[in-house]
Amino acid sequence: MYNDNNAQTIVEYIKNFTRKNSLFMLAYGTGCGAIELPATLTSRYDAERLGVRGAATPRQADLLLITGYLSTKTLKRVIRVYEQMQDPKYVIGFGSCTINGGMYWDSYNTIKLLDKYIPVDVYINGCMPRPESVIAGFKELQRLIAEGKADGATKYKENLDWYRENQKKVLKNWPLVEYNW
Amino acid sequence: MKTSFIKEELLFQQLATAFENVVIEIVRKETVFVYASKEFVLPILLYAKEKLGYNSFSHLSCVDWIENDEFELVYIIWSPETKINLFVKTRIDRQNPTMENTDMIWRQINTYQREIREMFGIEFPGFVGEKEFILEDWEDVPPMRRDFDTLEYVNDTFFEREGREDKQDVRERIAKRSGEEIPDFAKKYSRE
Repeated sequence: MYNDNNAQTIVEYIKNFTRKNSLFMLAYGTGCGAIELPATLTSRYDAERLGVRGAATPRQADLLLITGYLSTKTLKRVIRVYEQMQDPKYVIGFGSCTINGGMYWDSYNTIKLLDKYIPVDVYINGCMPRPESVIAGFKELQRLIAEGKADGATKYKENLDWYRENQKKVLKNWPLVEYNW
Repeated sequence: MKTSFIKEELLFQQLATAFENVVIEIVRKETVFVYASKEFVLPILLYAKEKLGYNSFSHLSCVDWIENDEFELVYIIWSPETKINLFVKTRIDRQNPTMENTDMIWRQINTYQREIREMFGIEFPGFVGEKEFILEDWEDVPPMRRDFDTLEYVNDTFFEREGREDKQDVRERIAKRSGEEIPDFAKKYSRE
């Protein structure tokens, strides 16, 4: 199915298949959208049938959801959390605030474009997205993983200077970790 | 039924006999405003707390009167016996905004003063509190002042999604395309 025209080797196919079916989501709510997640994860919408479930710490998690508006103060912690996560890691931008600022388009303390600061694999629009759209977003992420296109972590490593430059434009006097990947 | 202001009148008399240079106004039932200059705020708050039983502090807020070149500080206190909200209002100079520290009367004023120092840039001499409250690394004009241009700051600092530079109001076009009608009450918000 996903292996048409020998697009992936069989090892990659199996790797992506297993990755897409066990997404551990970090229990970290940044904005108002986090209130949709209990509904998504519990019995009515039951995201665990897609293999999505909660993880307690960044190092155990594969999936980071930025749920709603992100103030510059939270952005510091989000960057820290994202860099602590281990390599198969994916980011979902959740709600219109992460896409273009949403209703905080002229707020002095919330960022407008999430993908300038950390790489985003899937955006879910809506304010707030209902659990159906969240599950649609999970399915879309699984499709991207299966096709081997969800490579945000590689993008972040390769373009770290560009991301750091954008981050430092907002976080002026904040020590950001230097890496020598 | 005619509203009676017996307990409000009593408070008016008590404050008027204790302080000369204040303006007292009974606004409505259980709401009394006191306008005072800034050196009278501390005595009024102390007197109201110790003698009149206004022992509950509700709020301290700030209003930026940029036209008059003044800030207005509003202390709201409440008495559980008379159930009256007492508003103590004072105006301070906008160019050199300093106000007396009052957090020895109620400890929770400390938090409000930290917020006002950060959001309006008003200094409270002799006041001990962490410098940063909500904002971190703020270097611009305090953001709640009215001369702080939020949109200009946002355009300088944050990125904008490409493709929406024209920012057109497409509501009427969409309504026409899909054969819907915009209700009358919503038409006044239209920019076309």
